[in-house]
Amino acid sequence: MTKRPRFGLYALVILSVVISFLPIIWLVLTSLKTTEGIYAWPPQYLPDPFTLKNYINIFTNSPELLLYVLNSFIVALGCTVVALSFGGMAGYALSRLGMRRAGVLMVFILAVSMFPPVSLLPSLFQTFLNLGLLNTYTGLIIAHTGLFLPFTVWMLASYFATLPPEIEEAARMDGMGFFRIFWSIVIPLSWPGFVATGLIVFIFSWNEFPLALVLMTQNAMRTAPVGISLYPGEYAFPWETISTATVIAIVPILIITAIFQKQIVGGLTAGAGK
Amino acid sequence: MTNMTSPLDRRRHLTGMAFITPTMAVIIAILVYPILQSIVLSFGQSSIDGSEPYSFVGLKHYATLAGNERFWNSLWVTLVFTGLSIPLELAMGIGLAVLLNEHFRFKGIARLAVLFPWALPTALNTLMWRWMYNTDYGLFNAAALQSGIVDRPINWLGDETLAMGSMVVVAVWKTSSFMALIILAGLQSIPRELYEAGRMDGMTRWQEFREITLPLLKGPILVALIVRSMDALRTFELPFNLTDGGPVTATESLSLYAYKVIFDFIEFNYGAAIVVVQFLVIFAMSLLYILTLRNKD
Amino acid sequence: MKFTISALATAAALTALPGFAQELVLSIGSRGYGPAVERNIERYAAENPDVSIEWNKVSDVPGETRKLYVTGLTAKSPTPDIYAVDVIWAGEFAQRGWLEPLNGLLDEATIDAFNPSLLAASTVDGEVHALPLYADGIHFFYRTDLLEKYGLDVPQTWEEVLAASQTITEGEGNPQLYGFVSMWAKIEGLFMNWLAFANGNGGGFYDAEGNVAVNSPANIEATQFMVDLLHEHRITPDSILNARPDDARTLFQQGRAAFLMVQDFVHAPLSADNSPVAGKFDFTRVPYFEGHEDANSTTMGGWFLGINPNSDNKEAAADFLAHFTAQEQQLTAAVEDNRAPTIPGIYDNDAMKGNAVLAKFGKNYDYGVVRPSAGSGSKYPRVSEIMQLEITNALHRQKTVEEALNDAQAQLDALLSE
Repeated sequence: MTKRPRFGLYALVILSVVISFLPIIWLVLTSLKTTEGIYAWPPQYLPDPFTLKNYINIFTNSPELLLYVLNSFIVALGCTVVALSFGGMAGYALSRLGMRRAGVLMVFILAVSMFPPVSLLPSLFQTFLNLGLLNTYTGLIIAHTGLFLPFTVWMLASYFATLPPEIEEAARMDGMGFFRIFWSIVIPLSWPGFVATGLIVFIFSWNEFPLALVLMTQNAMRTAPVGISLYPGEYAFPWETISTATVIAIVPILIITAIFQKQIVGGLTAGAGK
Repeated sequence: MTNMTSPLDRRRHLTGMAFITPTMAVIIAILVYPILQSIVLSFGQSSIDGSEPYSFVGLKHYATLAGNERFWNSLWVTLVFTGLSIPLELAMGIGLAVLLNEHFRFKGIARLAVLFPWALPTALNTLMWRWMYNTDYGLFNAAALQSGIVDRPINWLGDETLAMGSMVVVAVWKTSSFMALIILAGLQSIPRELYEAGRMDGMTRWQEFREITLPLLKGPILVALIVRSMDALRTFELPFNLTDGGPVTATESLSLYAYKVIFDFIEFNYGAAIVVVQFLVIFAMSLLYILTLRNKD
Repeated sequence: MKFTISALATAAALTALPGFAQELVLSIGSRGYGPAVERNIERYAAENPDVSIEWNKVSDVPGETRKLYVTGLTAKSPTPDIYAVDVIWAGEFAQRGWLEPLNGLLDEATIDAFNPSLLAASTVDGEVHALPLYADGIHFFYRTDLLEKYGLDVPQTWEEVLAASQTITEGEGNPQLYGFVSMWAKIEGLFMNWLAFANGNGGGFYDAEGNVAVNSPANIEATQFMVDLLHEHRITPDSILNARPDDARTLFQQGRAAFLMVQDFVHAPLSADNSPVAGKFDFTRVPYFEGHEDANSTTMGGWFLGINPNSDNKEAAADFLAHFTAQEQQLTAAVEDNRAPTIPGIYDNDAMKGNAVLAKFGKNYDYGVVRPSAGSGSKYPRVSEIMQLEITNALHRQKTVEEALNDAQAQLDALLSE
């Protein structure tokens, strides 16, 4: 390889990295400015003076913004656990237990997931109200599980399909039941699939908007994307608060993505690889 | 139920049913039941609180829909948005994937940079961009005005044509990474020998790309296209947080229009008809992709 | 806060033997009525230890809060027990049966104390469905220092506003300084704006006979003036087309506009210590067009408090509602937070003497005009949507003013005759 393309390569890489991070960098810079600095002309590119006031204000004056992050965390974690448990079993049944019409079921699951989420809202709202599930973690966890189970089932079913069937056959020869095979052989062998799927479902649930918007009507129960989106007032759009809250809300996702980037990439690509 | 002879098969069948029941229960409750309710609602007139009992009106709401300029506008907006953003995402995605497939230092950071826009909530991404687009205090206009490129601020989100462009940019920024990662996996699964053979035939890198890489990427590209088109056709929080469908209705997607009809104008039946049509569009689009790509094989 | 109040209330309820602990849920934004909400709840809790009030802080974006109420009320949710409604929803919600009639729950004297023209907004079939909490309206803010510098009088007419804007912007020669800013994004505030212009020209939503006449010559002329301010005279920034009230306020506060037309709330931030225009601005009534000095051009708004018909505690809710909107509470909100009272007697109170700002707001309300929400009831959201859309079409020059208003008229005729 010659030198010239290498230079071009690095230039392109740096450009992509800069474009990817630009909105976040600008947001972080905004959150470190004073209110006057944000609206100043000529514009301030770097905070002058630099201030942590917006962060202190959030912790002291608007603790609900921190609560939103906690709510997102609880819902996303709950959804991930339930979706992996249910989806794992269903995926195994569909890929390994020789179910008749498994293919039809898989397509059916995919087809219902194509429906626009907005259309689910009126009906879900009423059902949840009657069952007392509005403004509960349980309610939104179930709703998100329903939304992301099709993805989970497809991901895990295709992962199970890559396992060599000999192991399970041998276990069956030893007289093991299907449930024990699933529990003590298939799950341990499929950890990477579960981790990758779980991470993606976690991110999906953390980011989900329409259902979280409508099913959590109390301010204290809102998730981070919804709470921050609704934070602007009747008259005002306080960018200093919104930028700061957004920075706080994306830090957990940034950390998770950074630590688990290999698994997430693996999961995303496995889903499409078939 | 006829060929279930051996006890093992019966046990396998029962386990399968048991394993799939929780998933089906949740999917039926959260997806199937509301979808069926939407379909039923779209053919009738009723109020959701039961004060007006359901009466069948046939295709009345669909007829209204066909004559409603704003519905056609939102369908058009959705299709334009999809039609503009998907090819751009695909091109960017292929470019990024090819880039990431090269060997260079700090690849971890580059991959994280690609993954990051995808991992963040669209609602919050959109707020970040909205802030950069801000006419009076945004980064883009600050740079454009100070460098003297323009002497009056550009109204990124307030001009009909620009607003759609601005929205497409946010979508491409966010989702090219998703395309890139899926295509990258495809790239990495192409056996090296093929390229070596190509090089012996004296192929240029461009020829290699066109004649070896691209045909083998068809599968992953198809999957990425379907997934992304479904998302684009349902786009909701992007216009919701960026423009609220404006200016006028230049960025009002089908989902946003349906949401407004259902929750602002409180017309559940008419709103249900919109989402049913939207579903049909998504379904048709998916079929179209599968058929075209299958025919080309 | 919520927890301490409930805890106090619960503790008190446990010690007071015959008391029943009742829980009421109140939905109102946390910033709209400012600190008054917390203060009122505390006062009520002190007097009524057996009732605990849970404050559900709903969004301060009216459209979002509205959707939230709509979903809850259509599904017959028993909470919130008491909730705040925008004046423009009051008629619609009453008509849909989403507000409990108050005449049976409160005595007549309590209801009759309120400003009758405000009560009209929530009166359906002769029954009052919600009590006005506070009123607001749009005012015309101007930079005293700039007017003085160029020897200009405070503009009273739109023609004078235009001339003054041109004098100031040409004189300052700063491309970052605009003449006039307001809220022309496609929001309810745009319709308020249009009503101010249209009424200021002797036009309005209705004609003299009370028929919808949005495409009258006076309205076309006024709307054309709005379009020309933006596209021909260019004294407004292009960003006015996506400006919400606070975007306009920010421009004005940063010294980048000579004139500003928005609601009351901007007075506090504009006069704050760190505001660059503090002490350099004042306000007057919304301008009118030459020859229409009697025009009612101050578009009014405000918030009401009503009771959910599905509430399990309507009696207790009514008691709380009466206390929350009572003279004593409104007086404190007026004196401390500049919230315009809805009980006319309060303006005469001695404690109000020192509040010149509120007195001046009140004077502008003498020229008040309300939106056609009472007349269109449950159709108001669509009425407003049609107007917002067609005015936006005209402002974006997607249609000529005449086409846009003719289209609006046709759609309104069809809608209102449904």
